[in-house]
Amino acid sequence: MAERAVADTGLEMVRPARPATGGTWASVARFCRKKPLGAAGGALMLVIVVAALFVEPLSTHDPIATDASNTLARPGRDHWLGSDHLGRDIYSRIVHGSRVSLIVGVLSTLLGSVLGGLIGLLSAYFGGKTDLITQRFLDILQGLPLLVLALVMSAALGPAVHNVIIAISVPIIPRAARVIRSSVLSIREMQYIESARALGIRHLRIAFRHVLPNTMGPFIVLATAQLGSAILVEATLSFLGLGVPEPYPSWGRMLSVSAAEYAQKAPWLVLFPGVAISLAVFGSNLLGDALRDTLDPRLRGA
Amino acid sequence: MRLRLPAALLAIVGVALLAGPVLGQAQKGADTGKAPASTKGARAPHPNGKKGGILLAMHREDLAQGFSIHETATIATVWPSMPCFNNLVMFDPFKPVESLDTVIPDLAERWSWQDNYRNLVLFLRKNVKWHDGQPFTSKDVKYTFDMVRQAADAQTRLRINPRKDWYANVETIEAADPHTVIFHLKRPQPSLLMMLASGYSPVYPAHVPVAEFRSKCVGTGPFKLKEWRKGEYIEFTRNPDYWAPGRPYLDGIRYVIVKERGTRFAALQAGRLDISFPGEATKPIADQLKASGAKLNFTPVGTNVNDNLIMNIKKPPFDNVKVRRAISLAVDRRAYAKAVHQGGAVAGASMQPKPYGFWGLLEKDLARLPGYGKPEENKAEARKLLAEAGYGPQKRLQVEMGTRAIAIYVDFASFVINELKQVGIEATLKQVETAQWHPLVTRREYQMGANLTGLGIDDPDGNFYENFACGSPRNYTDYCDEQVMKMIDAQSQELDLKKRQPLVAQIQRKLEQDAARPIMGWRLDHFPMAPHVKNLVPHHNIYNYGRMQEVWLDK
Repeated sequence: MAERAVADTGLEMVRPARPATGGTWASVARFCRKKPLGAAGGALMLVIVVAALFVEPLSTHDPIATDASNTLARPGRDHWLGSDHLGRDIYSRIVHGSRVSLIVGVLSTLLGSVLGGLIGLLSAYFGGKTDLITQRFLDILQGLPLLVLALVMSAALGPAVHNVIIAISVPIIPRAARVIRSSVLSIREMQYIESARALGIRHLRIAFRHVLPNTMGPFIVLATAQLGSAILVEATLSFLGLGVPEPYPSWGRMLSVSAAEYAQKAPWLVLFPGVAISLAVFGSNLLGDALRDTLDPRLRGA
Repeated sequence: MRLRLPAALLAIVGVALLAGPVLGQAQKGADTGKAPASTKGARAPHPNGKKGGILLAMHREDLAQGFSIHETATIATVWPSMPCFNNLVMFDPFKPVESLDTVIPDLAERWSWQDNYRNLVLFLRKNVKWHDGQPFTSKDVKYTFDMVRQAADAQTRLRINPRKDWYANVETIEAADPHTVIFHLKRPQPSLLMMLASGYSPVYPAHVPVAEFRSKCVGTGPFKLKEWRKGEYIEFTRNPDYWAPGRPYLDGIRYVIVKERGTRFAALQAGRLDISFPGEATKPIADQLKASGAKLNFTPVGTNVNDNLIMNIKKPPFDNVKVRRAISLAVDRRAYAKAVHQGGAVAGASMQPKPYGFWGLLEKDLARLPGYGKPEENKAEARKLLAEAGYGPQKRLQVEMGTRAIAIYVDFASFVINELKQVGIEATLKQVETAQWHPLVTRREYQMGANLTGLGIDDPDGNFYENFACGSPRNYTDYCDEQVMKMIDAQSQELDLKKRQPLVAQIQRKLEQDAARPIMGWRLDHFPMAPHVKNLVPHHNIYNYGRMQEVWLDK
């Protein structure tokens, strides 16, 4: 109808030309060129994702198989990264541990960020008493350090994968809620939101259809940034015996008490799981920083 | 005659002059209540023993039950509480292998078996005082052991009573006079003396409520409690009124609580502690300390602590002996000692193996038991037994294994889970906090567990009645076999050691064949201590050498 009206006036409608992106691969290449550190982080994360997806073909041994004749074996042809005090292959345990770390990291980050994002969205959109009460509740949650809260929850729920995910996701909720709330506070004052309200569109439709999509940038940055700390918290919980239960391999547990006991005699017991945790956290942090710079218009090109 | 009278008078005067001060002192002592305690049976002081100094001892955790040894089943309570108490009899502190022959007097200066080992008469030391000044008498002995055996007329009850079954054969305890006590038994039981000698059997004062031992300690022992600062240390000071002449040598003992194992041994390595904690210095730790060049002496000893698998026999699938046997067959005992303990454990059945213990089975007997032969043959037999019980690739047996959330338990469980996997059993691990573990297994709220059992004495009575007898609260598997009970009773009253030994061996074989509580291995300790610590001889039993009465510091 509008187009017909324009045609009637004899004026040619000019569609705004989309910037020539050259496709996904070109975007990736541009990202790598502009953000080499971020690309390195992405590559590290990709390696971990691949390891987590293809644990069976990548493993050389059963990660829980003990071997009394090969305890504390040095890194070599049979055991690429050595074996532990029960004769279990460190490399295969690290590969299997990547799945646990990634699943727990990604799911807890997603759960925490989505729940936090929803709370932040509704709290900021409706404002007033809803916002006041919600924010005071989040103040309490945010007052507790992430690790302390996760420790308490994990101890209360018991060691199991789903409990660890819940334990790590809860402390992420207030952080996510705050970030999304700040975005929504500015977005809800925009003219198009005002117009939508004037047209009588329902609040929930406005919130989810018109406000939420515009918070995706901060949301992605937040989730990527939290992924590293979620992996670290999972490792810490496992290290303290509150994470994924034995005998299933977890990077944090691989660093735990027994390994510390043998660390002088067999340093590879703590070295390689430690390196794996460091690289995963480092990778997700680099990627998160680069995404933040790319998605935030104020920092774009900085 | 005229010549003899002055000589006799001279002799009388001389004797009176010599004896006067002695008699006067004795009279004076009786008047003031400070008569010397009888020291019969007490060892003479060491000729080079030096007095003084504070012994800095390692301690791994705070005291969950205070100093109430009778209410506990952990070395963590016994070790720092023993210096406060005395037993009726004790194991010779200088002899690492314990037996009836190494039982020596303590508060009982001598004893006598009567009526063919049915009555044990103990003659108590006189003028022994409790730390609060009250006199020690036979009433205290009757009070203590009536309480432990839960006699109908006992003055008080223990909140937790782990060793009630040790005294199941005691019919009555008679305080014949203030310094004589008689244990009347239902049937002959020479091993009663062994149980009375354990660190788990101190005499409590009848005038102090049991509940008070959870925060303070009133004993007759060589050291008095000075201060217990929770989570930090427990400090004892010398008992100046101790009955043994010249003891203790030390001015005091400080048990320093360090919860993290690495930190504990770093403190020992750095000279901040003088002695280790019984059972803690595993082979890897001892190897590390030796490699570090720390000036420490190491004593390799048995601990009388075994790793065992417990299965809830009253519930399926472990009510089926075939399933239990399959599990026992699946776990390779030699590989277990090598992998989980890095060689710091020895294989053995339900009694501590030789040379650490007296009753352990010989190698040729062990080789015929489940889990000791060729691993592949054992595993094949396990699969066969599982198939007979109705489990196989189509219907896999799934079990939940519980254990304490401590590294060494988790390693133990992880190893077993992998062994079970090889015969087609899928086991998952459930880690439980230490405080929850014992209540959980006592209530039988478990399916299968990786467990540790410490035995207070190296004696079949102390082990079998506590861990395998029908109805015993510490018989966590609820294994109950009438034939085995008869065999246990028979060996208990057998007075001839040569006849008792084969009976005990037969029971051990039967228990392993029935997989009543399959024993995985017996732990060894390397007990490190500083070279200046003298007269502390670690025993092949962690519970019985903590008195510290003979220990001195050569500084």
